[in-house]
Amino acid sequence: MRTFFILLTKELRSFFLSPVAWVVLAMFMAICGLSFSWSINILREKPQDQSIVQWTFVPVWFWLYYPFLFPLITMRLFAEEQKLGTLESLLTAPVRTWQVMLAKYFSAVIFYVVLWLPVLAYFGILTWILRGKVEIPQGALMGSYLILFITGLFHLALGSLASALTKNQIIAAILGFAFILLHFLIGVFVMQQAQDHQEFRPIMDYVAIKGHIESFASGLLDTRPMVYYTSGTLFILMLTHQVLEYRRWKS
Amino acid sequence: MIEVQHLTKRFVGRTAVDDVSFEVGKGEVVGFLGPNGAGKSTTMRMLTGYLPATMGTARVAGHDVFSDSIRARREIGYMPESVPLYDEMRVVEYLNFRAALKGLRGRAVKENVGRVMDLTGLKDVQRKIVASLSKGYRQRLGLADALVHRPRLLILDEPTNGLDPNQIRQVRSLIAQLSTEHTILISTHILTEVEMVCRRVIIIHRGKIRADDTPENLARSSRSAGMLTVEMKASAEEGSEALQGLAGIRRATAVPSAANGGWQQFEVKLDTGADPREEIAELTRGRGWPLRELRANQATLEDVFVEITQRD
Repeated sequence: MRTFFILLTKELRSFFLSPVAWVVLAMFMAICGLSFSWSINILREKPQDQSIVQWTFVPVWFWLYYPFLFPLITMRLFAEEQKLGTLESLLTAPVRTWQVMLAKYFSAVIFYVVLWLPVLAYFGILTWILRGKVEIPQGALMGSYLILFITGLFHLALGSLASALTKNQIIAAILGFAFILLHFLIGVFVMQQAQDHQEFRPIMDYVAIKGHIESFASGLLDTRPMVYYTSGTLFILMLTHQVLEYRRWKS
Repeated sequence: MIEVQHLTKRFVGRTAVDDVSFEVGKGEVVGFLGPNGAGKSTTMRMLTGYLPATMGTARVAGHDVFSDSIRARREIGYMPESVPLYDEMRVVEYLNFRAALKGLRGRAVKENVGRVMDLTGLKDVQRKIVASLSKGYRQRLGLADALVHRPRLLILDEPTNGLDPNQIRQVRSLIAQLSTEHTILISTHILTEVEMVCRRVIIIHRGKIRADDTPENLARSSRSAGMLTVEMKASAEEGSEALQGLAGIRRATAVPSAANGGWQQFEVKLDTGADPREEIAELTRGRGWPLRELRANQATLEDVFVEITQRD
C-alpha cells in the first residue's frame, strides 16, 4: 500500500506539472461556467421541465466535450512512460505492475474529480446569493455527481487501456476517444432499437450511457448502471494490466 | 550473488539469449561484453526481473528473479542503457522518489540520497530540473539511482555510453570505487574500460557465451599472442628459412612490403611458452644481418573480442 501511495503522489505531481492538465482544467471550468450561467438565464425566462442541475450538468452541448475529456486526461499515463523507457526503471524497482497501473489510474480519477469540484462551488455561490429563495434539487445534484463519477471511472479505464496499447500519446488519445465513442454509439443504437423492440429494453437499461446520465441528473438512481460501469471498469483495468505485462514481455 | 542456469529468451523469429549459464560470486566485478544485439541487455533485463525467460532460471542473492522477483529486485541496483529519467522532476526529488520506492523510509531516504549525491558529484545540481541536465549528469543520476538503496548487486548497462573522455574517466573511477562494496555486472563496448575495471570477462555473441575468464587469460589465449615481429636486412626467403630453423619458432613469414632499402619485416609464430628473442639476435649477428626491430606482440582484449565475434 505504501508503494502505491508513493507512486500515486508522484503521478499527481506529474499531472499538475503538466501544461495539458491546466489547459484542460481551465477549458473545463469555462465550459461548466457557461453551462451554469446559460441554465440560470433559461430558467429566469420561463418555467422548464428540467431542473437547474440538469441544465448545468447535461446541457445540449454535453456530448460535444464530454468524450474528449478522457483521452486528454489519460493519453500520457502509460504511452509517455513506454516512449521514454521510464517504465523499465519503474518495473525493475521492487514494484508490481498492478501498483503502477492503479497509481496512474487513480491519479487520473483524482484529477477528474477535481475537474468537477468547481461546479459544486457554483451551486454553493448561487444558494448563498439567493439566500434560500430557490431550492437546488439535492437528489438531482447527488445523482449527477454519482453518475458522472461512475461513468468517469469507466471512461478513464478505457483511456488507460488505450494509453497502455501504444507508445504514442496522440495515438493513445485517438484510440481512447474511439473506444468511448463506440461505447456511446452502442448505447444510442440500443436506445433507438428499444423504441420499436421491447426485447432491447433490458439491454438499454444496462448500456445506454446517454439514458443513464439523463436519468441520474433528474434524480432517478438505478443500481443497474452502477453494477455495469463498476464491473466494466474492473474488467478493463484487468485488461490494461495484461496489456502492460504483454508489452513488457515482448519489449 | 548471481546464478544463471540455461537461461533462454526467444522473441518472435529470433533467439536473443540461448541457453546461457554462468555464476558471479560476491564481490566480483564482471564485464559483460558482446557486439550490438548479442543478448547482453536482454540477459540483464531478465536478471532484473523486467523480462521473463522463455526457459531457464536466474537467482540473485538466493532469490529467484522470476518467482521471487520483488525480493530479488531489492538486492539489485540497475542502470538501464538509455538512463530513462523523469524530466519534470528536480534531481533531489527524483532521488527521494526512487529511494522511497525502493523501500527506504524517513531519515534513511535523506541520508542515502545525500550519500549518493556526494558519491556521484550531484550535490551542485540537486535543485536542477532533470530535463536541463547534461548527458554526463544524467548518467550520474542514473548511477545514483541504482546505488541509493545500497544494493548488493549493481547491474550497469553501458554506463559510459555517449560520454566524453573526461566523463568516461570519472564514471570509470567511480565504478572502481564502488567495486570495493558491491558485486558489479557491467556491460560496455569500451574494452580498455573492462581491462581497467573488471577482474573477469564474459563474452556473449549471438545469444551464447563464447568466453568466460580473466582479461589476462583471455589475452593469452588470443591468436595474436605468442607472436614476434622481426625487422632485419635479409631477403624474404633466406630470413624466413633461417628463423624457422631456430628452436621454439613454429613459423616465420615475410611481410610483403615495398622496397625500403633492403629492410624486411617477418612475423614469427612461436611455440607455446617459447621466447627465442636472444637466439634471433645471435642469428642476425652471426649472419651479418642488421637488426632494427625485435618485438613481442601483446594481445589485447580487443583482439580476443574481435576474434570471437568475427569467428562465425
